[in-house]
Amino acid sequence: MSDMSDTPDATAPPALEAVGVTKVFPGVIANAGVDLALRRGEVHALLGENGAGKSTLASILTGLYRPDAGELRMDGAPVTLKTPRDGLDRGIGMVHQHFRLVERFTVTENIALGDKRLPWRWSAAKVRTEVQQLAGRYRLPIDPDAIVGELSVGERQRVEIVKVLYRGAEVLLLDEPTAVLTPQEADALFVTMRALADDGRAVVFISHKLREVMAVSDVVTVMRDGAVVDAVRTTDTDPEALARAMVGRSVDLSTRWARAAPGEPVLKLAGLRLDAVDGRGRLEDIDLEVRAGEIVGVAGVAGNGQRELAETIAGLRRPDAGTVQVLHRDITGVRPSQARVAGLAYVPEDRLGTGLAPSLSVTENLQLTRSLPFLIDRRGGLAHATEVIERFDVRTTGPSAAVGTMSGGNAQKVLLARELDVRDGLTRAIVVAAPTRGLDVGATEFVRDLLDARRAEGCAILLISEDLDEVRALSDRIVVLSEGRIVLRRDAADAEVTELGLAMAGQAAPDDSPDEPSDEPSDNLGGPR
Amino acid sequence: MTGWLGRLRLEKRNAPGTGVLLLVPLVSVVAALLFGAVFLSLIGLAPVAVYREMLRVSYTTGYGVADTLVSATPLILTGLAAAIAFRFKLYNIGGEGQLYVGAIAASGAALAFGDRLTGPAAILLVIVAGALGGAVWIAVPALAKAWLGTSEIITSLLLNYVALFLMQYLIFGARTFWRDPESATFPQGARIPDATRLPTLGTTRVNLGLIVAVLAAVVLYLLLTRTRIGYRWRVFGDAPAAARYAGIPSRQVIVVVLLLSGALAGLAGATEVAGRAGRLDPTGLALNIGYNGIIVAALARYNPLAVIPVGLLLGGVLNAGPALQTLPGARVPVAISTMLTGAILLFALAGELFVRYRIRMRDPADVEQLAEQATTAVASPRAATGPEAEA
Repeated sequence: MSDMSDTPDATAPPALEAVGVTKVFPGVIANAGVDLALRRGEVHALLGENGAGKSTLASILTGLYRPDAGELRMDGAPVTLKTPRDGLDRGIGMVHQHFRLVERFTVTENIALGDKRLPWRWSAAKVRTEVQQLAGRYRLPIDPDAIVGELSVGERQRVEIVKVLYRGAEVLLLDEPTAVLTPQEADALFVTMRALADDGRAVVFISHKLREVMAVSDVVTVMRDGAVVDAVRTTDTDPEALARAMVGRSVDLSTRWARAAPGEPVLKLAGLRLDAVDGRGRLEDIDLEVRAGEIVGVAGVAGNGQRELAETIAGLRRPDAGTVQVLHRDITGVRPSQARVAGLAYVPEDRLGTGLAPSLSVTENLQLTRSLPFLIDRRGGLAHATEVIERFDVRTTGPSAAVGTMSGGNAQKVLLARELDVRDGLTRAIVVAAPTRGLDVGATEFVRDLLDARRAEGCAILLISEDLDEVRALSDRIVVLSEGRIVLRRDAADAEVTELGLAMAGQAAPDDSPDEPSDEPSDNLGGPR
Repeated sequence: MTGWLGRLRLEKRNAPGTGVLLLVPLVSVVAALLFGAVFLSLIGLAPVAVYREMLRVSYTTGYGVADTLVSATPLILTGLAAAIAFRFKLYNIGGEGQLYVGAIAASGAALAFGDRLTGPAAILLVIVAGALGGAVWIAVPALAKAWLGTSEIITSLLLNYVALFLMQYLIFGARTFWRDPESATFPQGARIPDATRLPTLGTTRVNLGLIVAVLAAVVLYLLLTRTRIGYRWRVFGDAPAAARYAGIPSRQVIVVVLLLSGALAGLAGATEVAGRAGRLDPTGLALNIGYNGIIVAALARYNPLAVIPVGLLLGGVLNAGPALQTLPGARVPVAISTMLTGAILLFALAGELFVRYRIRMRDPADVEQLAEQATTAVASPRAATGPEAEA
């Protein structure tokens, strides 16, 4: 471990400390002798891939799990946390990635919920005042009387933060808090995190996004395979070193652009319109062309029509107006199987449940979108699965393993192997939604390599994602979808995060740029590779 | 950190082995027998003697085995009916009613056309009529489920009562086509022509229905595991969204699976009419064979092949009930069979826990050792990536 003597209050014992914490699950050592010191006044980033043990450690720190070995200390004194409530009572609060709010309750009601200090007949006004004070102090703008179900994701997150603060949390753990936010919302969250630390609280930022960790944290602890592999002050490190520590080898997650000029238009959307059902799922006047050998990224905040766009193209929804063409063939509203025959592959964002059937085997899932003979060729399927497992390095017990038992990254490999491993040469257009969501750095690199390779082979790829970093990493052109409309179109080289973020938040100037750039964006061609 | 209880833990099994899958039902049966023994003792009977008698009347004598096979025949068919539907999360609770309507249709067809047919054609007639009758009875719930999203549980269940009253009306309610005009004193169904009776095997009462049931199980098993149709059904049952994504027509799957389920239950009615009773016999049919099929299917884990042995087991237990009543000197209640079947199901459902999880006692020393291994593994330059499960 590096020297941490320049911490604001290095002499004082840490607010919360894990000493030699070990947690074993069947077949997995989730935490192996982990040491972690959370000091007041610091934002402490906990960095690691999926399965590195971050969530387990967080669960131990908050009292959800008890360590099998090692101990927790608060201000130097050993403590045993029996339940999360026990942790909360001692001032350790967690903001979960998946919010735990009652949608039909107001903000104040949600915050008061489960507070045992309140009498049977509690005074909403009193809680409300306290909520407003906390919200003002830490720049967390929320309306205490709003119904939670009507709030945006970012607002709900602020409610969760205020909720743990209201309970008197001195140590705050935020689990992947930026995953659901726009860049601007993320920046606002960083300001809040800083304010909390400055106020003498210890803040833990759990993430696998290097850029954000570099931007907000004072100290970084990197975990891999259940153990701490690096613990440094943020100023003493850089993203490359962190990535190396996290993955155990060097990785290339740099931006990649097409190396050749794109060819003819392959996927063509013209005037696509989908009318709202119950005020949701609207698409309006979508005009978009994706040419052979390019990736067009669709950015946007969740719920702005991304799923509808993907499903309309893939034949799962019939548009109310407009056309979808693959290689001049009209596939508007045809069955998904016919869209596939026309050369369209679709990787849905929901892997287990839509892209894959969880309790079916790897072999069977690889056949899901293939046309099958009446009698299934079991031996051929098994051989194909064995070969895919080998070539894509899928970690599984074998071709007969149910995909639901596999990790997200490995399940995604099975899905991509089916949809993107197109050696028959028929697939010309690919719609991929959130292909690296929830994947660790190693798997992300793998998926990006694969998409890049398909682009180089001349596939037209539409990449739909709520993760702006993901969109920016691969796309040659970027469009922003907001409330079912394309509100911004930019060449990737000219796209600025601020502008994209504002457009995602629905604050952009009207889209006035032409769909296709008149001349080739030659400055793209020599993009960093 | 705590006592031994604290070290007991449930571990999720990834893929339960065949051993466990077989062991759980066997243990369930033993547990149910022990459970039943408590009750038998309480009413002053010797459990061992009662169970020995059960074995005798159902499994270890020629007559007993034949009786068990006769009882098992419709159970296997209604078991298949439930298994095929429940497996794909389509809950056809209406096997009972479909069995009645199958019996009505089979006896009706036999009475109407049986005289004019001989040999295989006559037998085929009753079998097809029974299957059609069952399918017709599930048709409305199936279509309502597919197009309106109506719960098939409620609709199929309620139709059971309609079918029961319909059947009773046909024999007891009025002078209908099904009623025997000769029997003035006690109303009963008219005898179906001999040509339409299912042939018996040798000198026993075991009839062709058993072969039909076993064949149906094998065909279903092959359909589910080896064909495109079964594959699509399995995708639908596991993940309806994935089925939609893959372009599998969900409505078609719902309707076809439910119709097939109804047809199998109707077939059970046909074998009862043409095999056992030789007439539409409302009292002899209303023995909960349809509902018991659900128990059979659950114990068989919705596997068509496993339905056969489970059907034979439960057939024997149910068959023993009435036989025990006639034991000289003992007053064994007939309900003992029903209670045992219920207990077997309950223990089997509890046993599911052991199929999915294993119980382990952990030694704290192991933990230290594992932790050490982990630390050294990570410390080495290129550590092997561990399992990616994040708890």
